[in-house]
Amino acid sequence: MAGKKDLLHVGIDLGTSRSAITASNGSRHVVESYVGWPVDMVARKVVKKPILFGREALENRPMLDLHRPLERGLIKEGSEKDEAAVRELLRHLISLAAPTEGQKVQAVVGVPAEALRVSRQNLRTAVKGVADALMIVSEPFAVAYGLDALLHTMIIDIGAGTTDFCVMNGRYPTEEDQRTLTNAGDAVDDQLMMLVKARHPEARFSIHMIREWKEANGFVGEPGAPVHVTAPVSGKPTLLDITSEMRKACETLVAPLSETMLDLLSRVEPEYQERVRRNVLLAGGGSQIRGLSAALEKALANVGGGSVRPIEDPVFAGAIGGLAIALDAPGEDWEQLAG
Amino acid sequence: MLSESFGMSELEKLKKEILRGAIRENVELLDDRAYIERRFWRPRWQWRWPARALTAAAAGVVVFLSVNAISTGGAEKPEVLVVTPGTAAQAPLAGLHQAPRAIAPTLFRLEVGKVVLDPGHGGADPGASAASGLVEKEVTLDVARRLRALLEEARFQVGMTRADDRALALRERVAMANAEHADLFVSIHVNSIPQKEARAVETYFLGAADGPQIAEVARIENQGSGYSLSDFRQLLDGVYAGVRQEESRRLAGEVQKSLFSGLHEANRELYDRGVKSAPLAVLIGTEMPGILVEVSCVSNEAEARLLARTDYRQRIAASIFQGLRSYMDSREPAPRTAGRKTEKGS
Repeated sequence: MAGKKDLLHVGIDLGTSRSAITASNGSRHVVESYVGWPVDMVARKVVKKPILFGREALENRPMLDLHRPLERGLIKEGSEKDEAAVRELLRHLISLAAPTEGQKVQAVVGVPAEALRVSRQNLRTAVKGVADALMIVSEPFAVAYGLDALLHTMIIDIGAGTTDFCVMNGRYPTEEDQRTLTNAGDAVDDQLMMLVKARHPEARFSIHMIREWKEANGFVGEPGAPVHVTAPVSGKPTLLDITSEMRKACETLVAPLSETMLDLLSRVEPEYQERVRRNVLLAGGGSQIRGLSAALEKALANVGGGSVRPIEDPVFAGAIGGLAIALDAPGEDWEQLAG
Repeated sequence: MLSESFGMSELEKLKKEILRGAIRENVELLDDRAYIERRFWRPRWQWRWPARALTAAAAGVVVFLSVNAISTGGAEKPEVLVVTPGTAAQAPLAGLHQAPRAIAPTLFRLEVGKVVLDPGHGGADPGASAASGLVEKEVTLDVARRLRALLEEARFQVGMTRADDRALALRERVAMANAEHADLFVSIHVNSIPQKEARAVETYFLGAADGPQIAEVARIENQGSGYSLSDFRQLLDGVYAGVRQEESRRLAGEVQKSLFSGLHEANRELYDRGVKSAPLAVLIGTEMPGILVEVSCVSNEAEARLLARTDYRQRIAASIFQGLRSYMDSREPAPRTAGRKTEKGS
C-alpha cells in the first residue's frame, strides 16, 4: 500500500458551469467547464495549444470546437467529443493540483445527481483512467459530507443545469431522498436573454454576457439597487437598465424550488420534519441570488417556518466535500476502486 | 454542523456508515461491466428467439415445441415436435418463418438478457408537442435514458436505437433492434389526442387494429417508416405469429399495469386506456417481443407540465422498469417432467 506521501487525494466538483478541485496538498482551483479543440491547423497555430479549457477556451471560441460537456446536468451522449471533454476536463483539473512525479491520485468526483442517475455507466466509462482510483458521488451528497450535515438536513444545490435536492437522514441518500429540477442557472439565463431581448431589441449581447450579468446582479424580491449593464447598440457601448428583467428571470426559480422543497419535506418522517425545516442549506452558484433564501423561508412559513441559509464558499463546497470523502475512505476501499 | 448535537465518535461512526454506501455504489458500478460481459456475452446468433431452440437441439438436447396450441384452442393436448441434432442442423431459419408456430414459452426458460429501447421520433421529427414548447422527441429520449440506467443497474444489457437527437426511419429502428439481437423491444412515445382534457397512458402490441381510432394511431406512428406497402405484406407474413404476439401481449399487460399504478399516485386524474393491439411498423419488423408505450398525453396541459419535471419522467421510467421486471419474473421455467408426458418417439 502506498504511504501518505505517495498519495494525492483530490475532491472535484464537476459542474455544468464551473468545475473546482481541492487537493490534500492544499491547492484549490476553479475553471469554467468549457473544453475546446482548435478547429483546424490555422486555429491551432493561433491558439498554440492542442486543447483549451475554461475562460481561455471561451475567449477563443470562434477558433474552437467548444464543448460544455455536462449541459442540463447530463453527460451528452452520442458524441465522443463530449465524453472526451469530460475526461480532458478532469485531467486538466488534476494537473492543476500538481501531483508530484510518481504520486498516485485518488479522486472523488461530484457530479449533478441527474448525471449519476441517468448515465452512471457512461460517466464511469468517460472518466476511466484519469486518476489512479476514482469514486463518483452526487454533488449534494458531497456538499453535505463536507459540512458534516448528515442528519436532518436538506441540501438544495442550485447549479447551472439542474437544481438537486437531497435530504440527509443519517444514511447514504436513496432515490426517495432526492429530487432534481431543470429549473436552474441555465434556465434563468434563457429567460433573462428572452426578456432583455424583448426590452432592448437594438442591443447586442451573448448568452455568456447574460450569465455574467446574472452572476453579478441576480436577485429576487425587492431590488437593492437598479441593475445596469453595458452592451453595444449599433456598435456603441450603451448602459441598459435590466432591473425588472433580472427580477422576473430569477424569480422563475422560486415557485418550482419552493414546491419541490415542501414536497420533499412532507416525505420526511413526521417527527423530524421540523428539524429538517430548520436546516435547509443552499449550495451551488444559484445560492448567491440575493433574496432567494428569504423567498424560500417564506414558503416554509406556511408549514410552520424554518431556516434557509446559503452555505459559505459555494464554489468550493462540493470539492471540499469530495476531498473529505477521499481522505476518509479506507485504503483497502480505494484499492477496489482503482483503474 | 452535526457535531453541535452529536458526539465526535458518533459522528465518525455515522460518516463511516454513510461512506460505506458511497463506496458500495461505486464498486457495484465497476463490477457491473465485468458482470454483464461475463453473464450475457454469447455468440450473436444465440440471442435470436427461434435460433435458441436450434441451439439447444444442436447440443443434443431434446426441445419440445407445442405446435399450434392457439389454433387448437388448447382443447387438445399439444402436439410435440422432437428436434434431433440432425434435423436441427438442416432446418433453415426461413422455414420457421414460413410455418409460424406457437411455442409455449414456459416449456423452456428464455432468459431476458438484452432489451432494446426505442425513444420515439428525433432530429427533424419532433413528434407531438405541447403549447409550452415541450416536444415528444426530448421526453422519449430522456425517459429511455432513465430506463436504461435502471436496467443496467439491474444488470441487463441495454441497446438504444438512438442515444441523441437524431432522426431515424422506423425501418432503421427495426434493423437496429434486430441487429442487436435483443430479447425485448420497448418503443417509447408520448400521446397527443384531440380530447385535450384527457390524461392517459396506453400500451400497444402487434396485432390488428382494435378500432378506427387505433388505426389512426397506427397511421400516425407508421409515418416515415421507410417501408413500402409490399414490404408490409412481407413483414406481416414474417411475423412469428404465436409466441411473439402472445409474449408481446403479456409484456404489454405488465408494463401498462405498472405504468398506470406508478403514475396514478402523482397524477390522480390519469386514465388507464389499457392494452391495445395495432399494426405498428416498428413492432411488425422487430424479431423479438415488443411493445409501444404511450407514456402520457402531451395534449393535456397539466400532463405536459408534469412531463417537464425530471421526477415525473423518472417515475415513468421506474414504472416501465417495474413492468418489465414483472414480465420477466413471470417467466418461470417449466418443471422438467412437463414435456416428457407428451413426448412422441425419441
